[in-house]
Amino acid sequence: MLRYTFHRLWQSALTLALASIVVFIGVRALPGDPATAMAGEEADPAAVAAVRAKLGLDESIPVQYLKFLGNAIRGDFGESVRTGTPVRDMIGATLPVTVQLALYAMLVAVLAGMAFGVIAAVFRGRWPEWVANGFSLFALSVPTFWLGILAVLYLAVQLGWFPASGYVSPFSEPLRGLYYLTLPAVILGMTHAAVVQRQTRASMVETLTADFVRTARAKGLSRAAVVFRYGLRNSLIVVTTIVGLQLGGLIAGAVVTERIFGLPGIGKLTLDSVFTRDYPVIQAVVLVITLAYIVINLLVDLLYTVIDPRVRVSGRAQ
Amino acid sequence: MSRRIVLPVLAAVLLGACVPVQHPAARVEHHDDFGTPVGNTKVAEGGDLVMGLSSEPDKLDPTTSSSLYTRYVMSTICEKLYDLDAGGEIVPQLATELPTIAPDGRTVTIPVRTGITFADGTPFDANAVRTSLDRHLNNPESQRASELGPITAITAPDASHVVIRYGKPFAPITAALADRAGMILSPRALSEEGDNFGDHPVCVGPFTFVERIPQTLIKVARDPEYYDAEDVHLDTITYRIMSDANIRAANLRSGDVQVADTISPQDVDALAKDPDLRVLQSPSLGYQGITINVGNVDGVGKPTRQLDTPLARDPRVRLAFSHAIDRQTLVDTVFNNWFEPACSPIAPQTEYASDASNGCPRFDPKESRRLLAEAGVSIPYHIDMQVANSQDQLRFAQAIQASVAEGGFDLEIIPVEYSTLLDVQKNGTFEALQLGWSGRIDPDGNTTRFLATGKAANYSGFSSSTLDDLLARASQTTDVTQRAVLYGQAVQLLQKENPVVYTYRLRNLTVHATRVTGVEVYTDGVVRLGRAAFVTGED
Repeated sequence: MLRYTFHRLWQSALTLALASIVVFIGVRALPGDPATAMAGEEADPAAVAAVRAKLGLDESIPVQYLKFLGNAIRGDFGESVRTGTPVRDMIGATLPVTVQLALYAMLVAVLAGMAFGVIAAVFRGRWPEWVANGFSLFALSVPTFWLGILAVLYLAVQLGWFPASGYVSPFSEPLRGLYYLTLPAVILGMTHAAVVQRQTRASMVETLTADFVRTARAKGLSRAAVVFRYGLRNSLIVVTTIVGLQLGGLIAGAVVTERIFGLPGIGKLTLDSVFTRDYPVIQAVVLVITLAYIVINLLVDLLYTVIDPRVRVSGRAQ
Repeated sequence: MSRRIVLPVLAAVLLGACVPVQHPAARVEHHDDFGTPVGNTKVAEGGDLVMGLSSEPDKLDPTTSSSLYTRYVMSTICEKLYDLDAGGEIVPQLATELPTIAPDGRTVTIPVRTGITFADGTPFDANAVRTSLDRHLNNPESQRASELGPITAITAPDASHVVIRYGKPFAPITAALADRAGMILSPRALSEEGDNFGDHPVCVGPFTFVERIPQTLIKVARDPEYYDAEDVHLDTITYRIMSDANIRAANLRSGDVQVADTISPQDVDALAKDPDLRVLQSPSLGYQGITINVGNVDGVGKPTRQLDTPLARDPRVRLAFSHAIDRQTLVDTVFNNWFEPACSPIAPQTEYASDASNGCPRFDPKESRRLLAEAGVSIPYHIDMQVANSQDQLRFAQAIQASVAEGGFDLEIIPVEYSTLLDVQKNGTFEALQLGWSGRIDPDGNTTRFLATGKAANYSGFSSSTLDDLLARASQTTDVTQRAVLYGQAVQLLQKENPVVYTYRLRNLTVHATRVTGVEVYTDGVVRLGRAAFVTGED
């Protein structure tokens, strides 16, 4: 197990190093540079040249990369070119917002997805299944940005049930914080709920038609006990995998959702910094997101051993 | 259905989808509304006003800032030597009178206020003004240096006068001091913060800087030390960054924000009908146009070389293109006639406009085809045009595409992202390119930098000694009537040569809630909130 963990950590470090090179070269391959992007329509050549020199953009890419790496290892990601704020502070301010949004959205996705999944499996071939499947088809096919804008227009502007945009920290004002996050979390969670619903349904159907379930029923176990004790427990393993995989997708979805609802999260930060070619910010943000992916994957793998003893046994056998 | 029927039907559907031109509804005249000062309206003291800002400002440092939106925030915390009034006239703000210019035009004397203080308590005087102007002029990263002109010396002979000396006369200086170059920074803050001044800007203004959360908001609070504090009503103003036009409109309607700038013409009609909202509109000093690459081969700033295409070589082809654009119909249909057609860089509402500068090549597809034939090019003549991939820009480009087809052009639209477009423009890797200019108060800022030989923003790579001479004379003349004549002649030359084909002029569209008063927007587009207030009875 120790050797396995060590191996995984080494792999993660390598992935991170590769990601840093890819993003470093990637942002520099984009047309334009921070100095030009920042100058916008006023491009005073002397000022642009001074900014370039200050940012070290006249140096060769390998030199720039080594400098960046040296600083990054010490936890110094530099300053935003556009606003002059330390990048570490920007990530410190935006990452918690995205984490809250992603967790809330995942909660919505798991609860709604499993509920619809169970309904669809239990009432197979009857109208509740059609409703549940209809929901998942709708949630999967409708793009988040469109749904988000519709939600703002109808639920926030017309009906006034939710705020149209903005963010309040749930740590300073828990209820208002949740209220502000609800609509974005539901919109972001919907697609993922649909995926969870499909997988839950498939897994439940498989379990509920298995021989041991028939035996359990024959021995007098109630239908509810079978559904919840065997069906749901077995589908948990599938749901955990999905949740792990989907958390990555949630970060991608957060870019769109945060923009629509004006949430100051890391997704919005990524997008804005790409548009302004804010190299230090893009580099740091991508590294942080890569790290998050790696950590999530590691956690999911470890979680398997808790949920499914079979994984633990085979892990030991290796 | 047989293929014979299906294909034409399909083609008709596709074409219909591509051509955004619809028959214009009855033309509605739009009247300027710059907003009203608080005046006698009963207003509440206090409250937090939230403005939805369409783009994130850069560093809040007037010397290095190049974002227009920085001006919106700075207008509440950082006053200037001069300002504009609703009529577009330059009026003193931190100066006490308009500058006195010596007969040779080379010495400019500015009387400034005394007895007032910066937000950090530092006294404001001529020396502080000199310090700021020095920084604007000499900081290596300054975006203001070229706006200030060929200055040889800045002195402060006494506490209430600043004298600027020039190598040759420079008429645009007063207008430059009514923009960021005229913002005066606290000398104490400058010596303490240095290059980081923008993190905690300190100036003279109705409000002082409180905090900034990048990509999210900027907050300012009332400054009790401000010299005119009794006219300031709000406690705080929060500028929230909302880059999406639809989202700004939705937040105005839901009441989450009370003011928002740069409203899209697609949203403004619906907002105008809302009784709780008021639309402010002012004509822009800038322009939108299509830059045609004539000689920008090695990048702007490098010596130009004639590009060897009929469009670059032959002014008749460019003139044909200008004749093929039905400006009025395009503006009316694409922008629901909220914007105005434009054919020159000189804004018609300014005192520098004349009949000559207001003239416009008529829409004449026949003439366009005739000119193309005369130039000996095959019709349809193909042009690649790069366009920013924003909704309004693309819609307009598609409408132009449909319009110029009639005049014998096959216009291909290449959408690119804004920062890429800036790069393309700088490097000269384009044939034609649609991009606008926000406009400056003095016409020199809207012409010379884009059109005079070898200038930093002459993206077309255009060079004409006649035009250079006209523009130089106009910038060195202080007489407004004489300048207007020179700019008129410059426009007539431009409309023959067409290095930039001007298309339309925006209106600055700002919307605010009616429970707020005192929001003002003049022709420079800056949303002035310093003296705004909530109307009594509501918060």
